[in-house]
Amino acid sequence: MKRLRPYVLILVALVAWEITARSGLWSPILFPSLERIGGQLWAFISQPEGFTQTWTTLYRTFAGFAAGALVGVLLGMLMGRSQFVAGLLDPVFSGTYAVPKLALFPIFIFVFGLGSLSKIALIFLECLYPMTIITYHGTRSVNRVFVWSAQNMGASRAATLARVVFPATLPYVFAALRVALPVALIVAIITEMISSVDGLGYLVTYSLSSLKTDRMLAIVVVISALGLALDHALVALRNRLVYWEKLDTYYV
Amino acid sequence: MKRTIAAAALFFAAAAAADEPTLIRFGRGFAAEEQVWLMSVRTDLTPNQGKKYQLKQILFQANPERFQAYLAGELDAGTAPGLAVIFARSEGVDMKLVASICQEAKGENYFSTTYMVKDDGPIKRVQDLKGGTIGVVGYKTATDLWARAGLLNAGLVPDKDTKVFSLGFPAMGDAVRTDKVQAGTFVEPFYSQQVAKGGLRKLFTAVEAVGYDHELLDVWFGEKFLKAHPDVVRAFLADYVAVTKYYLSNMEQAKRDLHKANFVRGPIEAYLKNADWRRDPNGRLNVESLKKLSTFMLDKLHWLDKPVNVDAMVDQSYLPR
Repeated sequence: MKRLRPYVLILVALVAWEITARSGLWSPILFPSLERIGGQLWAFISQPEGFTQTWTTLYRTFAGFAAGALVGVLLGMLMGRSQFVAGLLDPVFSGTYAVPKLALFPIFIFVFGLGSLSKIALIFLECLYPMTIITYHGTRSVNRVFVWSAQNMGASRAATLARVVFPATLPYVFAALRVALPVALIVAIITEMISSVDGLGYLVTYSLSSLKTDRMLAIVVVISALGLALDHALVALRNRLVYWEKLDTYYV
Repeated sequence: MKRTIAAAALFFAAAAAADEPTLIRFGRGFAAEEQVWLMSVRTDLTPNQGKKYQLKQILFQANPERFQAYLAGELDAGTAPGLAVIFARSEGVDMKLVASICQEAKGENYFSTTYMVKDDGPIKRVQDLKGGTIGVVGYKTATDLWARAGLLNAGLVPDKDTKVFSLGFPAMGDAVRTDKVQAGTFVEPFYSQQVAKGGLRKLFTAVEAVGYDHELLDVWFGEKFLKAHPDVVRAFLADYVAVTKYYLSNMEQAKRDLHKANFVRGPIEAYLKNADWRRDPNGRLNVESLKKLSTFMLDKLHWLDKPVNVDAMVDQSYLPR
């Protein structure tokens, strides 16, 4: 019973949707039945094009996310260990965190073109903020006793950073990764919805333009499943690498 | 005593509501619908408004949202491109076209949506777009249809030989100039602005792409509303035709009024100079052109799953005789 608990609300939502769809109160274009959405989902996953479009979105997501994670962790650690760097970068990150980077997308298009690069660049920027800020706070919260002990035992600055600070910051890094990964996927989809000729976001817009809500919702299900699978994979990786501080259950 | 007063108040309120003219919740767009907007700006031109109907215009940025609002019961009528209504009908949406707003037509006096390229660029003819990109303002929109028609006429396969990208009208000029797209779609007022800037030239127009004059924007009503309030629709369309005739014979004043009421933004002088689309003074639809567009969408573009009965989609009987 406990295992089923996380799915209860989803099941309730699906039943509510089906009741609404079958009530006849709204057009099936607004509320298509689960059967129709399922049919479109099957059509999507059984065709090679579905895989190609999914891969296009995932490629953009991973490319921007990986770059954002790498640079974000580096900057965050530097800020956490150097007051000079923190003093330099903190106002920039704090001052521009609330800016919706998506508003910059038209500029990115003109700089990087209409293809994948403008989308990857925006995903990078969106991921950079949570990665940097959470890593920064993680680095600053490393137990000083660990650092002093390493220094007393003659560890160099680099060795202290690599063998003490970084492992101690890893739980924060993974927390940042879990924040940034769905952001990356969302930005990939939105940028594809704005201007693209491929990817899942493009298919969402294309389906909406054709008034094919069932197809659009089937793609939303795919996006949702992708988000869940990626998060599961990240948690599994976290539990493997941060073995001293495992998450008790997936739904903590 | 209190109960009697309350009952009387309720009675009078109900009686007053019953006397209220029927409200038309009307979904409008943001371009080329001058005579529709004028109905709200110059109510003195619409004698039936306030007596036989009330008009509430609601702005929408795109057609799918407008149709979704209609399906959700939030709209009774609206404006939309004929081809968008063809899409809607193919999906079973119960709406009908009742009047024409404007058409893409040949002739020096009329504006037709224009596809432009860089003046000094390598694209001299449509065939040169092979391997390039053409900008439109949305997938499965009229601009998408014309772009694809132009490419097909030149023997190019859209998406395969030439990519079709969605971009906003304001970004189109710079996108062409910076080679982000090799050709772009231009409507007024962006067309005149970009021509004045220089450096761009015409590749083809919407009319040249499909080969015939055709409907661009139309007025639609929900079928239930048409059945429930035929006299209201007739009164609305009588005013609409009167306003259309006024607009055509007093274009400058009408444009000034629309600009003053913020229905149109940007420099007034440029707006006054812009060439206009063809508008039928009686609001009559070119049904044959809709049939041709429907066939093109089905056979050449494969945008429709099944044929659409255009005759059943159009009802011009509500227009003044």
